[in-house]
Amino acid sequence: MIPHTFKNSKFAIVVGSLVALVLALTMACSSSRTNVGNPSAIGKEVIDDAGRRIILPERVDRVVSLAPNLTEIVFAVGAGSSLVGNTSYCDFPAEAKSIEKVGDTLHPSLERIISLKPQLVLVSTASQLEGFTEQLKSHNISVFVTDPHDLEGVFRSITQIGDILGKSQAAAELVSSLRARSTAVETFVKPLARVRIFYQLSAEPLYTAGHDSFVTDLIKRAGAESVTADVPGAWPKYSAESALAAKPDAIILPTGGSMGEGNANVAEALRNSPAVQRGRVYKINDDHLVRPGPRAVDGLEEMAKALHPEAFK
Amino acid sequence: MPVAATSNFPIQQNRATLRKTVVACGALLSALLLAILVTSLVGSERLPSGGALCALVSLGTNQCGLTSDQFDILFQIRLPRILLAAAVGGSLATAGASYQALLRNPLAEPYLLGISNGAAVGTMLALVFFGRLEWSRPLMAFAGALLATFAVYRLARGKVGASPERLILAGVIVTTLLSSVIVFVTTLMDATRIRSFTFWLLGDLSGASRGLLPLALAITITGAIALTFNARSLNLLMLGERDAFDLGVEVGRIRIIVFVVASLLVGSSVAASGSVGYVGLVVPHLARLSLGSDNRISIPSAALGGALFVIVADTIARTVIAPRELPVGAITALIGAPLFIYLLKRS
Repeated sequence: MIPHTFKNSKFAIVVGSLVALVLALTMACSSSRTNVGNPSAIGKEVIDDAGRRIILPERVDRVVSLAPNLTEIVFAVGAGSSLVGNTSYCDFPAEAKSIEKVGDTLHPSLERIISLKPQLVLVSTASQLEGFTEQLKSHNISVFVTDPHDLEGVFRSITQIGDILGKSQAAAELVSSLRARSTAVETFVKPLARVRIFYQLSAEPLYTAGHDSFVTDLIKRAGAESVTADVPGAWPKYSAESALAAKPDAIILPTGGSMGEGNANVAEALRNSPAVQRGRVYKINDDHLVRPGPRAVDGLEEMAKALHPEAFK
Repeated sequence: MPVAATSNFPIQQNRATLRKTVVACGALLSALLLAILVTSLVGSERLPSGGALCALVSLGTNQCGLTSDQFDILFQIRLPRILLAAAVGGSLATAGASYQALLRNPLAEPYLLGISNGAAVGTMLALVFFGRLEWSRPLMAFAGALLATFAVYRLARGKVGASPERLILAGVIVTTLLSSVIVFVTTLMDATRIRSFTFWLLGDLSGASRGLLPLALAITITGAIALTFNARSLNLLMLGERDAFDLGVEVGRIRIIVFVVASLLVGSSVAASGSVGYVGLVVPHLARLSLGSDNRISIPSAALGGALFVIVADTIARTVIAPRELPVGAITALIGAPLFIYLLKRS
């Protein structure tokens, strides 16, 4: 008798939990469906650099930026007032410093982002942020990913962010003036011989710019050729002996900006390179060379002037 | 009980052990020299093998038709890195072998016991506070390793002595505590340094700590010899501390010697290359499995085998995706973990 009841109650528990599970799943599905459905009713559609289709409200005026280059773009298109949060690395323009900080690029505080009630979060690469995107989605916050691999990609980011923030006109003007400056540099250096350069992102360990980095494109436009232009990846760790064997004619050191003076010296493997022997080691403000934003064109001009001083007299 | 012997070891048996040690170490030493020679010929840049071999054999006195760039690649970049790999591997494996004997625990290893992390914290603090002084790194790493060793040992020691389980638990506690200290220290650093550190923490031999190479080599060789000379006492200790004491071993003294020498070994290798995992675990195990558990044989064999293991692992790390590079710690773990599981299953 007792075992029989026991059996029954066990059965009831199994059935009960199955029913509960099915109910929970159905509810979860329907609730997420309504979440996605809501903005689409009123919004516009954009596709970001990660190939994701994003539905945004017609008017976006509360934005969080999770990268310094994106903060710079938002200010440059004249939408600084819509920025309600950014990262501890966002230090340009000066107004960006006084905006509420949500952590750094890799460790943003989800709680603080949600409490700021943005409609949109701007992110610079999709890496490590997959789970993050899901959590924000459940709070009706969209995520826009940028991942430019060349200067045109930077211009596309500017145009898209301008469109999203209702500043299409300003963004278009900014892009055309930046493009004009870039074209001017390219025309100056076009007749000149290309300089073979090594781009040293850091000396210990030795990091450089690879095929997927927008800097590799900037270097090409500046009338030079990166010896690591074909190395896969954006910022690969590079073999010291390959750097020595490449015998670059010039070395670019991004340093002296917000990254500090940490990269002011040439790596040991390059101490006897033709670049060092001829004194052709150029320090360029790292903020202009590691942030794919409007100031990348400053970086382009600075590199071109350093590498081809004769063309800019 | 293992081979480990009694106090009245017959002289003949001692001779046999000596012969076995000489044969094993001779074979490993030849393999090590051969590995140094062969791995010097491979890298992301191709060097003419004949010229490179000739230059290596002449110990750099003859350029043997190599261009000055090729000569620099061989002697300024490749060979120092290979020798550093040997020093790091030899140090970690020797430290592992002697911890395992002293603590009578096959899992005692610098990485698992948190001793590498202690050395890493020391190195990082040296970098943050005395950035320019290169020698402050091994010094602080040694201090960190020694402190972590004593912390683990005190934590593990219950009323009934240090049981294997308590030891590993203590190691886990110290490791995780020090990991959080490491994360905290990285927040004191600027962005460029953090990048180098994440790589370094995984174990990386590409760093230009060439200034530390002579020191690392000297510490490895003297450390391995010093511990080999104490191997007989370690053999007796494997019977248990009480028995060893009754047999005339000065247990306290041996413990201090092993802790200090092993901390020196771990400290100098971590200061030069970060935390390269699994070397101190896998290599002594292999040495004991193939040559028996007599520490007079297994400690020097582990030293040479460790050097060999890390040289091979680093050659893979620097060539497999050339001209890009991987951290050597990823390779030692990739080889070490499956090898270790296989050894556990087999024994």
